[in-house]
Amino acid sequence: MNTIEYTPLNELLQLQVELLQSTLNRVYNRVPSYRKAMDALKCTPEAVTSLADLARLPFTTREDLTANYPYGQFAVPLRDIIRLHTLSCGVSNPIVMGYTKQDVAHRQGLTCRFLSASGVTADDIVQICLDPGMAFLAQELKEAAEAMGALVIPPEPMAVQERLRILADFKTSTLITFSSYLQYLFAELAESGMHLANLSLKRVVLLDEHLDMDAREEMEREFAVDILCGHGILEAVGPVMAYECEKRNGLHLAMDHLIAEVVHPATGAVLPSGEKGELVITTLTTKANPLIRFRTGELTRILAEPCVCGRTTWRMEPVYERTDGLVQVRGLNISLDQVEAFVRHGLARLSRGQVSKAVPHVMAVRKERFLERLELWIAITDEFFAGSLPLLHDWLREMEMDFEDAFGLACRMRPVELCTLQPYLNQGLRVVYL
Amino acid sequence: MLQIKNLNTYYSSIAILRHLSLHVRQGEIVCLIGANGAGKTTLLRTISGLVPSSQGEILYQGKGLLGLAPDVIVKMGIGHSPEGRQVFAPLTVMENLELGAYHRFGRAEKPEIQGDFERVFQLFPRLYERRRQIAGTLSGGEQQMLAIGRAFMARPKLLLLDEPSLGLAPKLVEGIFQAIITLNQEEGLTILIVEQNARRVLEMSHRGYVLETGRIVLQGSARDLRDDPDVQRAYLGKDYAQVAER
Ligand SMILES: Nc1ncnc2c1ncn2[C@@H]1O[C@H](COP(=O)(O)OP(=O)(O)OP(=O)(O)O)[C@@H](O)[C@H]1O
Ligand SMILES: [Mg+2]
Repeated sequence: MNTIEYTPLNELLQLQVELLQSTLNRVYNRVPSYRKAMDALKCTPEAVTSLADLARLPFTTREDLTANYPYGQFAVPLRDIIRLHTLSCGVSNPIVMGYTKQDVAHRQGLTCRFLSASGVTADDIVQICLDPGMAFLAQELKEAAEAMGALVIPPEPMAVQERLRILADFKTSTLITFSSYLQYLFAELAESGMHLANLSLKRVVLLDEHLDMDAREEMEREFAVDILCGHGILEAVGPVMAYECEKRNGLHLAMDHLIAEVVHPATGAVLPSGEKGELVITTLTTKANPLIRFRTGELTRILAEPCVCGRTTWRMEPVYERTDGLVQVRGLNISLDQVEAFVRHGLARLSRGQVSKAVPHVMAVRKERFLERLELWIAITDEFFAGSLPLLHDWLREMEMDFEDAFGLACRMRPVELCTLQPYLNQGLRVVYL
Repeated sequence: MLQIKNLNTYYSSIAILRHLSLHVRQGEIVCLIGANGAGKTTLLRTISGLVPSSQGEILYQGKGLLGLAPDVIVKMGIGHSPEGRQVFAPLTVMENLELGAYHRFGRAEKPEIQGDFERVFQLFPRLYERRRQIAGTLSGGEQQMLAIGRAFMARPKLLLLDEPSLGLAPKLVEGIFQAIITLNQEEGLTILIVEQNARRVLEMSHRGYVLETGRIVLQGSARDLRDDPDVQRAYLGKDYAQVAER
C-alpha cells in the first residue's frame, strides 16, 4: 500500500502548492523560455500563492517543446541527465525529454504504484506486449515490474502466435498491452482453439482507455480476467500519470507528481471540477524537464469527490476524445483535418463547384461488441443539394468507397440536417463516441 | 502539524522570506538547508513569533500563529533552540533548565518536571556533571547541549533547532545529533532543524527543504535530496569537477 494515495486531501493540496512554488522558482531561473513566457504575462513565481493562481501562468504546448530543440527546455545541466527520449511528432524537430537519476527513480516509483493498484505483486509473471514504437515505455514497465520482484517476460517483437504460446507455456499471470492489441490477441486466442483453462492469465493492464466498460466486462467474462487501465502522455512523469483502482470508476491522478487542470479548449479558461475540457498538466517533481501547464490535447473531466476505494486522490475520466484533431480508431490514427478536407472535396463534387467555407460535419465512433465502427455525419444544405434523392444516394456510396481508400477503414456516410449537428458543433466537438 | 503557506517576512521592508510554503508532519524530522543569509534563522524566528512583520499563514495544529506573542507560542508546544547557543550566562546549568520549564510551574507538574530533568541528564550526562556550573563558563558543545536541554524542558511537541552543530568538534556533533534522534524516536518529538552540516542532517531527517534567497527551490525525501546533483554541488561539498557540465 502506497501511503501517498491515502494522504488526507488537504495535505496533498498543500504539498502541491509547495512543490509548485519550488518548481517555479527553479524554472524561472533556469529555463529561458519559461521566464520569457512568464515575463510576458507579468507573472513571477511569487505571484503563485495557491493552486488557483496556476491560471495566471502561461500554457506550454507541444510546439513550445519542439521550438526549444534539443536541450532548451532543460532545467538542469546536461551533466545531470542520465536518460534521453525523443518523441517525434511528425513535424519539424522532435521533442527531447531528459531525465535525471531522480526523475528515473520517480518514474519507476509511480509505475510500481500503478502496477500494484492494478493488482500486480511479486508473485506475478508479467508479459509485456507493446509495439516497437513503445519500446521506451516497455523498458520502464519492465524495470518497475522487476523492481517489485515480479518475473518479467521481456517485450521483444514477435508474431502474435509466438506471444500466445508464451502466454500459455510461461504461465503469464499479468499481460500489459494496449486495447487494440488486446482485442487482436484475444481474437487470435479464440480462433486458435487454445483452452482457456490452460492459461494462468489473471489480469490485463492496459496503457490506454479505448475499451469502454461494456466491452471490457464482456471480455472479462469471456476470458476470466480483470482488465484495468492506466493513462499517460509521453511527455510527463512516467508511462502513466493516472490509473484505475479495483473500483474502476475513473483513473486516480498521481497528485504528488503533477497538478491536473481542465480548461476550455478554445478559451483556455479553467473549468470547475466535473466539467469536460482539455487536460492541462503541471509537473511537480520532474527536475530535468518540468512542464508548466502543458496542453495535453486530451478531453476529460476531473472527479474531485473521494473514491470508494479509500484513496484520497482526485480522479480523471477515461480519455476518449482529443482536441488536437487525432482520433484513434482500431489502432489507426485518423486526422480530423484530413477528414474535413475529404468532406469538402466530396461536396464540391456533389454541387459541381468549389466549396470554400467549412462544411458542418461530425465524426461518430460507434462501438459494437469490441469493434469500433465509423460514421460521418454531414449536414446537407440546399447549397449543395439540388433535390435529386437518387443522386444523393449515389454520391453517398461513392463517398464511402473513397473514404475506405483514403483512410483504410470503412465509414458509413449519413446525411443529416444542420440542427442535428448544432449541439455538437456548439461544444466544439468534431468527434462523438456512441 | 505545522503548515506554512506563502509566508513573507520582512526586516525593515526588505523581504527576507518570499512566498515560502512548507509543512512538517507529526513525528517527522524535517531539515532546512541553504547558504548563509538564505533566511533559515529568520524562518525559525518567524515561527516562534520573534519577527513580527510577516504576512501569510502559519498553522500549528490547525491554529494560526502569526501575530501571537512568543510566550503564547511556547505554551502551545513549540520549543526553539536558537542559533549561537543562547544560554543565560550568569545562571547555572540547573537554573537554565528550570527557566526552560518556567511556563509549566504552578500547573502542579512537579514530578513530571523532575522526570524531565532526569531525561535531559540522561541525554547529556555531561550536563549532569556540570549542573551547578555557571553556564557562561561551559564549553561551546556543552552550551549547545544546554540550549537543547532547555528547549526540551518546555516539553514542546515541535522543536525548532537552529544549527546545533555550529562550531563544534565532530565528536561532539555526533553526540548532539544522537540526542536529537533519541528525542524524535523515544519522546516522539517533531523536529524542524536548520543545519550547515547538510550531509549529516540529511542522514537523520525524513524530509528536507532547500532555501535560496528566501525561496524554497527544492524539497523532497532526505534520500532524494542527498542524491540530487544540485544539492551535492551546493551543499555536500562534492567536488565541482565531479559533477560539472558535460
Ligand atoms: N534583525 C535583522 N535586521 C535586518 N536584516 C536582518 C536581520 N536579521 C537577519 N537579517 C538579514 O536577513 C537575511 C537572512 O538572515 P538569516 O539569519 O535568516 O540567514 P540564515 O539562513 O540563518 O544564515 P546563516 O546560515 O548565516 O545563519 C540576511 O541577509 C540577514 O542579513
Ligand atoms: Mg542562521
